[in-house]
Amino acid sequence: MPMCESQTSGKPPAAPRTSAEAPLRIVRADLSVPVACFATGWLTALRREARIDVAHIPLEPAPTRALSVQITQTPVSVRSYMFPELPANCPPAGPPRPVAAARVSDVTKSLPARTRFQPPRDIVKLQDRLYYLLQPPLESLVNSGQLTFPNQPFAYQYQGIAFLYPRYAAILADEMGLGKTMQAITAARLLLRSGEIRSVLLVCPKPLVTNWQREFAHWAPELPVSVIEGDQTRRRWQWQQDQVPVKIANYELLLRDADVLCGRQLQFDLVVLDEAQRIKNRSSTTSQVARSISRTRSWALTGTPIENSPEDLVAIFDFLLPGHLNSNMQARRIGRAARDYVLRRSKDAVLTDLPPKLYRDADLELTCEQEEAYRAAEEQGVVRLSRLGEALTIQHVFELVLRLKQICNFDPMTGSSSKLERLEADLEEVAASGKKAIVFSQWVQTIEIMSQRLARFGPLEYHGKIPSRRRDQTIAQFRTNPNHHVLLMSYGAGSVGLNLQFCNYVFLFDRWWNPAVEDQAINRAHRIGATGPVTVTRMLTRGTIEERIQQVLEEKRQLAAAVFSEAGGPDNLGLTQEQIFGLFNLPVPAPVKRVGTSPVGFERSSDTLAHVSRLEHGTGGL
Amino acid sequence: MIRSVGQKSLPAIGFLTVARDADQGLLGGYLVLNSLGRPLEFHCTAPVRANRAQEILYGPTLDPYLCGERIGQTLLEKSKAAPRIVLTDCPPAMAARFVVDTPMALVLDPPAPTPETDDAGPHSALHAAGETAIGGVVRVASGSGGAPLHAFPLGSYRVAVLAECPEDEPYLVEQWAHFAGQIEMDEPFHRIREAIDEARASSH
Repeated sequence: MPMCESQTSGKPPAAPRTSAEAPLRIVRADLSVPVACFATGWLTALRREARIDVAHIPLEPAPTRALSVQITQTPVSVRSYMFPELPANCPPAGPPRPVAAARVSDVTKSLPARTRFQPPRDIVKLQDRLYYLLQPPLESLVNSGQLTFPNQPFAYQYQGIAFLYPRYAAILADEMGLGKTMQAITAARLLLRSGEIRSVLLVCPKPLVTNWQREFAHWAPELPVSVIEGDQTRRRWQWQQDQVPVKIANYELLLRDADVLCGRQLQFDLVVLDEAQRIKNRSSTTSQVARSISRTRSWALTGTPIENSPEDLVAIFDFLLPGHLNSNMQARRIGRAARDYVLRRSKDAVLTDLPPKLYRDADLELTCEQEEAYRAAEEQGVVRLSRLGEALTIQHVFELVLRLKQICNFDPMTGSSSKLERLEADLEEVAASGKKAIVFSQWVQTIEIMSQRLARFGPLEYHGKIPSRRRDQTIAQFRTNPNHHVLLMSYGAGSVGLNLQFCNYVFLFDRWWNPAVEDQAINRAHRIGATGPVTVTRMLTRGTIEERIQQVLEEKRQLAAAVFSEAGGPDNLGLTQEQIFGLFNLPVPAPVKRVGTSPVGFERSSDTLAHVSRLEHGTGGL
Repeated sequence: MIRSVGQKSLPAIGFLTVARDADQGLLGGYLVLNSLGRPLEFHCTAPVRANRAQEILYGPTLDPYLCGERIGQTLLEKSKAAPRIVLTDCPPAMAARFVVDTPMALVLDPPAPTPETDDAGPHSALHAAGETAIGGVVRVASGSGGAPLHAFPLGSYRVAVLAECPEDEPYLVEQWAHFAGQIEMDEPFHRIREAIDEARASSH
């Protein structure tokens, strides 16, 4: 490597001169540097084997912790209920009959799918409630052929049967003509077939015994039925027979055989009172005997659970559930307490396709003869009543009412009658159209007079003077013979239990003391099976006692509505004794005042009135 | 109140259902009827509710476990009558068949709808549960744990048995003859639900 020549070794090189001084000359220079080696000891260390020391550091694993989850078996606690098996002697009716099957298909179209038994509130034991709740629907029984009907029941009738079946105390209070008979028979039939009951006693008014017999044969042909009748020895023997599950007796027999019935030898599983308003007077012997019959279940059938006052319902409950209702309860409270025991449906609500019932009020003027007789009788009567003073009783007033009502029908001297004139005119039309009519009156005497005057219409009579054995024949004759256009009936004998739905006209020649009986009379024609509209003509003479009584009847209709409506209503719609005396503007004598002025007093009064009527004129006793 | 009456041994049939209550859990009901449709026995469970661990660990098999193995088995074993067959309308309850000897069937469909109700769509609860059917084998997508079922017509209904128990089908067909015409296959389940409600109401 060229170097600048400047000095020898050992000396530091001189600084190069600038070009102005002299040009640089490259000379050789010895740059060797003495190097001496000496031992540091490091090399040895490098050559030495690496020394490895192993240190033990404990690496203990973290403990594995297991969490056990217990999968316990979910506890299942069970409540069990056992029910009695169907008795061996009541096998199913067999496979569905073709006719029944066809009807069942109709049922599915027209009925709610399933009508189930609902246990009433007074059944508190769960086992018993479930027993009813778990029974098959009525439609299933029909569908399977276990239960057959000659005619297809209506949906509301299924509901009525389901209502009665589980109840130990019940009132079926359907409006007349809705088939209470069929519902009661079917419910009893089901109970008998299921083995829940073995003996049934049905009590009804005497004229209806054959009707019940017929209905049992129609709706429950497999059930043997025994009618209690004949002399005392025979009846006593009949009462003791327990092979026949259904016994039918009339109310009058209850009284005669009270010693047998009130003893403890006889026990019925079910007692049904038809036309249960017959026991509305709690102090009557009929009511007492009915209440004393030893029984497990009690049903009452009536279209008029309240005829005059809520007291009527209290009396029926004394038979069903003694003490459940009492006379001191107000109408609304009675309604609430009775609700679970009473089933009441009106035709308007359930029979939307029933032909209409048309009311026609015939407000008539008295004939001159009637007018004269009426005014004279009224004036004399009122004067006589006024003169009685403290001796005046309600019976005296009744006698005058009866007298005046009769004059409103016929003039006692001449027989003149504006009502009959009108009736004759109307019956001409009825007969010309080939229809049939029923005429109701309170008096047999009136019926007999009418029968003579209406001879050209082929009248038939049905009242208390007609022997029981001839009554069915009379009805059959009226039904089948086209020459008989009119049936003359007393309210007492003909207002209950008869099926006269082939009649299109009903005439109320005079008015009964309470609207419920009138309704029953009208519903002989306006009921299931009615072939057309039923025209009801209510005859009334203007400006007479009939007009005043009419106002009372309207008030009574409102009374019944008050008890059975949710909204309630006035508690006192009956007529007080003051009002009865007030018919003639008479003051109430002091002794009568002390008796009381409650509507109950009116009930007693109207009963007495009807009683007097029957006694004096031989009407309608059953 | 109810009188005991003479016994007659008619063939019996069981109806099992499980009701689900949002507050209380599952309530099982088991009704044994005779061949006339009359009740012989009714058994019902207190409310059964799975705990959280069961919900997680059983997963989709929880319902069959509870409805079938716990509720179903317990109820069926309580019966003193010996029902020929047991019907259920609760798909998960079919799991009970794995642990009981009595042949069981799931009621799938009510009778064919009438023309008036034809537009109401499928009536089966299983349709709502996501039923799929291939070659007569029904697999229920939810609520049953997916147990394969074999469906077939029985009377006017369609029912299904566990695919693992094919022998149940001919037996069911044979035994149903005792009850057909007397009992509507889906009706008793309504009775059971009402009875469960009644029992619950009485316990409050």
